[in-house]
Amino acid sequence: MNHFSRGLLGFAGSLVLSACAFLPSPILAQTSSKSDQWIHVRVESKEDKGETVRVNVPLELAVKVLPAINHENLQGGKVRIDNAHLEDVDLRALLDAVRTAKDGEYVTVQSNENNVRIAKDNGYLYIHVTENNSAKKESKNAEGKQVPAKSGAAAKESKVEVKIPMKVVDALFSAGKDQLDVLAALRALAANGDTELVNVKDEENTVRIWIDSKNIAD
Amino acid sequence: MLLIAKAALGVTAAVALTTAYVFHEGVIRVDVDESRSGGSHVHVWVPATAVSAGLRLTPRHHLQEAAAQVRPYLPLLRELSKELQKYPNAEFVDVRDSEDHVLITMREGKLSIDVVSDSEKVHVALPVETIADVADRLEDAAPGI
Repeated sequence: MNHFSRGLLGFAGSLVLSACAFLPSPILAQTSSKSDQWIHVRVESKEDKGETVRVNVPLELAVKVLPAINHENLQGGKVRIDNAHLEDVDLRALLDAVRTAKDGEYVTVQSNENNVRIAKDNGYLYIHVTENNSAKKESKNAEGKQVPAKSGAAAKESKVEVKIPMKVVDALFSAGKDQLDVLAALRALAANGDTELVNVKDEENTVRIWIDSKNIAD
Repeated sequence: MLLIAKAALGVTAAVALTTAYVFHEGVIRVDVDESRSGGSHVHVWVPATAVSAGLRLTPRHHLQEAAAQVRPYLPLLRELSKELQKYPNAEFVDVRDSEDHVLITMREGKLSIDVVSDSEKVHVALPVETIADVADRLEDAAPGI
């Protein structure tokens, strides 16, 4: 092997090394495993500009990053609630009562304006609220009496459906008094698997919050 | 003649290796285009290595000042950059209406922020390793402030 071929070999070797160095590290890195849980938020609004918001956050990332955020009421993954916001409601006692109670419907309110249903079933807490907006549009006549909406007016309903695993509720309130342990709740959510958490629908907006193992919203 | 050829090969190899080293951490890219008349057009491509090298060359007292200001956010930056590396290709935020579109994604290991509106387009892409590197350098510059 003469000097020239030796030099050429050295040059070729350098080029191969350079090519390896150019390869972006993520290509070499493994992609995230399929078992990763993602929390998805999707908001679709038909108002004005027709806004769509899609947020996808890996639960593991949220669990790791949350304790690093210390801002005002959020410290170490826990949110401090001011006493004033509870308005003398002992949430802990309320939750204890729900937790220890048997499955079933706890609250059912039916009125012209709202239907509210709070139930516990198979380890999940369900909160369903249906608001009938057409009932609100009743107006008062000159004598001050209620006049129902015109018969042609379409009944506009807004529905809120919340489904939370009881383990998550427990974890959320596992911190001391006047605190919500968001970090513990996220961990409990991650352990729970695919879940549809919140579904809000009215004539103009749709809000959906759910957890699955896909890294994009469907 | 052979000597010149050898020297040329050596120089070429050195240039290739240097280029490879400079770009091995990726490129930080900032593109800003304003569509109004007289609007600015900024296109900056900087090798991420330049940031790391720049931080090494920056006088320590300047780094300490910077570290003191961003100290509360350093743990967040470090944790976020570490975790983001696990998701080299992912879409985190997508907000759009009839006028604006904001997209925050990870693309091939780079944190990418794209804002497109009627009046301007902004594209920022930076390797997450760079964020981690900056956080580490600032932490080292002023530990425990």
